[in-house]
Amino acid sequence: MKAFLRKLSGNHEISLAIILVVLFIVVDILSGFTFHGIGNIGEIFKNNSLTLIMSLGMLCVLLTGGIDISITGVLAFAGMTVGMLQKYNVIKNVPLLFLIAIAIGALCGLLNGVVIAKGKVSPIICTLGAMYIWRGLATVVYNGEWASGENVAGMSAFGNTAGPYIILAAAFVVYFVVMKWTPFGRKVYAIGSNREAAQISGINVDRVEILVYVLMGVLAGLAGALSVSLYGSAQPTMQDGKEMDVIAACVIGGVSMSGGRGTVVGTLLGGIFYAVVYKALPLVGLESIWQNLIKGVIILAVVVINVVSQRISRRQTLARREI
Amino acid sequence: MAGKSGRTISAVPVRSWKKLILSWEGALVVIFIAVLIAGRIMSPSFNLNSVMFMMPQYLSQLFIVFPMAFVLIMGEIDISVGSIACLSATTACLAANAGLPLPLMILVCLGTGLACGALNGFVLTVWPELPPMIVTLGTQIIFRGISEVVIGAGSSLKYDSDNLSPFAATAGPVPVVFFAVVVVAVLFMILLSKTTFGRRLYAIGSNRTAAKYAGIGVNRVRFIVYALAGLMAALCALFLLTQIPAVKSDEFGKGFEMNVIAMCVFGGIATTGGKGNLFGAFIAGMTIVCMRIALGLINVNDNVITIVIGVLLIVSVLISGISRFKGKGKAKKKPKSVTAD
Amino acid sequence: MKKLTALLLVTVMAAAILVSCGGASSGSAEYALVTKASGNAYNEKEAEGFVAAMKAQGITSYVVKHPEKATVDAQIAVINSLIAQGVKSIAIAANDANALSATLKSAKEKGIKILTLDSDVAVADRLTFCNQAGVQEVGQALIDAVYDIASGAGEYAILSATSQATNQNAWIDAMKAIAAADSKYKDLTLVEVAYGDDEPQKSTDQTQALLQKYPNLKVICAPTTVGIMAAAKVLQDKKSTVKLTGLGLPSEMAAYIGNDADHSCPYMFLWNPIDLGKLAAYASVALVKGDIDGTVGGTFMMGETQYKLTAVEGTNASEIILGPPFKFDPSNINEWKEVY
Repeated sequence: MKAFLRKLSGNHEISLAIILVVLFIVVDILSGFTFHGIGNIGEIFKNNSLTLIMSLGMLCVLLTGGIDISITGVLAFAGMTVGMLQKYNVIKNVPLLFLIAIAIGALCGLLNGVVIAKGKVSPIICTLGAMYIWRGLATVVYNGEWASGENVAGMSAFGNTAGPYIILAAAFVVYFVVMKWTPFGRKVYAIGSNREAAQISGINVDRVEILVYVLMGVLAGLAGALSVSLYGSAQPTMQDGKEMDVIAACVIGGVSMSGGRGTVVGTLLGGIFYAVVYKALPLVGLESIWQNLIKGVIILAVVVINVVSQRISRRQTLARREI
Repeated sequence: MAGKSGRTISAVPVRSWKKLILSWEGALVVIFIAVLIAGRIMSPSFNLNSVMFMMPQYLSQLFIVFPMAFVLIMGEIDISVGSIACLSATTACLAANAGLPLPLMILVCLGTGLACGALNGFVLTVWPELPPMIVTLGTQIIFRGISEVVIGAGSSLKYDSDNLSPFAATAGPVPVVFFAVVVVAVLFMILLSKTTFGRRLYAIGSNRTAAKYAGIGVNRVRFIVYALAGLMAALCALFLLTQIPAVKSDEFGKGFEMNVIAMCVFGGIATTGGKGNLFGAFIAGMTIVCMRIALGLINVNDNVITIVIGVLLIVSVLISGISRFKGKGKAKKKPKSVTAD
Repeated sequence: MKKLTALLLVTVMAAAILVSCGGASSGSAEYALVTKASGNAYNEKEAEGFVAAMKAQGITSYVVKHPEKATVDAQIAVINSLIAQGVKSIAIAANDANALSATLKSAKEKGIKILTLDSDVAVADRLTFCNQAGVQEVGQALIDAVYDIASGAGEYAILSATSQATNQNAWIDAMKAIAAADSKYKDLTLVEVAYGDDEPQKSTDQTQALLQKYPNLKVICAPTTVGIMAAAKVLQDKKSTVKLTGLGLPSEMAAYIGNDADHSCPYMFLWNPIDLGKLAAYASVALVKGDIDGTVGGTFMMGETQYKLTAVEGTNASEIILGPPFKFDPSNINEWKEVY
């Protein structure tokens, strides 16, 4: 029993899962048992699918010790572009539109990656500048008009099918497999743990790093198209500032910001945690005006609890060694 | 040494004129002058009076540049400063509207900022393994959230008093806030380059573990820096209130953290820590401010301005980064090299 | 040497950017319009009307500025640059009623005519206000719509923008006041005012939460163009029996307007933002030319129509009311969705 408890507090994913379950039960009770319905859980995943999907790309970026704060700019640029393509009846084919959004995202990511890997620019700065650029380009594409309602009817209808769930699930399965069982996944971890060692052992660090940012861009572009589908509108301001949500979801999920540590499962749990908080706050009878404050407190509390539990487990491990 | 002035403890570069021009700060001065000249050519309205007239609004952000530079030199980040400015402005409004005299109001405002900064510092030093970015993200949401709850639903919180006029005064065309920024800049420069405290910041940023073993109270230094950041954010709020005499919790000071970090980095401060100085950050801040003013005066679309600043940021860091890279190679061959190129 | 090249490159780039951007500007501006922010289609329509009206009067020295973000900070930067350029009039859709006062005072000292449109500032800081529709009229129209759609009784909720949005709060307060004053509305219960912060995602979350929290909810009223779009999609996708009304752009809402179960919004309101921009343009010119001076009772012509400066309720400050809010229903939506 003791060993079991020790294992519990030591494993980040499990302790987070427990916090999540407790939170879920508390919210369910507070909201008069309306929270556990299948429809509601579906909505949680759907509404936060953008954050969840982008958190996968962010996981890899953070694993290499980088960061990407331009993602919502990419999202807006890609989303706005596909929105406009539909509005002006250039392309109405939904899968094709998704591909275009992904391609735009990949290009943006490629640019970030090359500047960071080849130009040796620190990731936060490169993507800070890039954030301005992509967001600005989104506004250039927008040119004074939103695309919404019947303009994006095709995508909007897709958003109401099981499509978004499938994309979400597929993304997580693919990433789980890639990060756990492929050379690429291992290389990403290797670079994050020790860049020099990775380089010496023959890993093409630059190439992996560029690829990581390209993948981040791909997911951000995908999220752009998804955003248009889910909310039935494309605006240049969409998801402004939400990159921090994505980073927070990763960090809550146990991804280290200095690189090398973090898992797909943890990221998923972190993302769900964030999603549950988002969904729960308006439901539990809290006044709208308090919700931002409580959200901040919860984020801070979770990272602190996490560190405290790690400390305890470390102390226990030490104590065991002494014996 | 390299184009990017790498002021480290071991090698303080000897200054010669050639070096000064070729250093990143020198380059920034040249860019700054180029921006002024280009602005003058492009817009007849770009003159001393109009620049000084438009400056106060941008200038108050420069107060935060200096402590942010400290934070970055330590290899950390603080993204809560904008929210601290918001909360400080909120308490300042409440104090002024309650009829407190000016000095007391200032005390309340700065006290709020200091307390917020100290809270960041407290959390980060009690649990030093926490990443500063995520902690300050949490407090960013919290400080703004408190402000939202305090102001409540309805209109913005108005600053109902004229007692801020000394802060909005001008000496000739030059606004008081300009002098205040210069004074703060000088104080921070002295703190960074002439005191043990400043050298400790570089030490922490270059190698935290080594700094710890060298007997530096790393956590004490960090606490002070975060508290300072809070204090300066409050000072920024105080001057900003002369421009924006009402607080809206969802926008006052929003995005300042990123503007300020951009200025620091443009000024040659590495976000990885241990590198950069305040003169660079100051001149970079002034360059961005003047660029915004010039682009505004020739009525360029505001989004184009953001794109321009984004491109400038990346390209400048890219170029200075490459030259730094080359310099590094040279330094390896000739350690402690102080000879001219 | 490399560094010198690098330095030169950056310098040339910085200068080139300024010079190339400068090529686009045309002459000195006299009449300026400052909208709430770029990236909002509603604001663009106002600008469209402003520009059209200026051209119609043969004026080329105008400038439209969209601040980078919907904040007073961004707006003040823009106004300051207009003051420095020495424009003659500034028409502004204020992001906040109080926060612009210092800036507008310094504009006034420089002799610039200040007028507002869409959302007002403190009356002392401007000469007149181009009001899209009286606050009372909007409140009345909205509460009547709720009353009508709910068939006179039941629960309704409001999905607003941010908790400190000036216009939305004024309309909501007016709705509440009207509902409290008249016993006709006594069976309507306002269950909650939720804030979607004009973000699609948060508005969606808030709408879903409202549905979940209040199973007996009959109507959601969203007096904001972003909020109403998000809510419309949620309700329509769910095939919910809860109906929606509020203020929305016809071009963005056409897919959701209809009287049957497949559409979430039976009808909604708005004014013509293009006309509002036009009104602001004609009022600017009239102020600069001295046809009106902002006092109540003045009149000016907008094309064939005469507009009169009326008093804001309870003050002697003036406003120009564009007209009553316009109702968009299935009968006219297809015609209007092409316009704005």
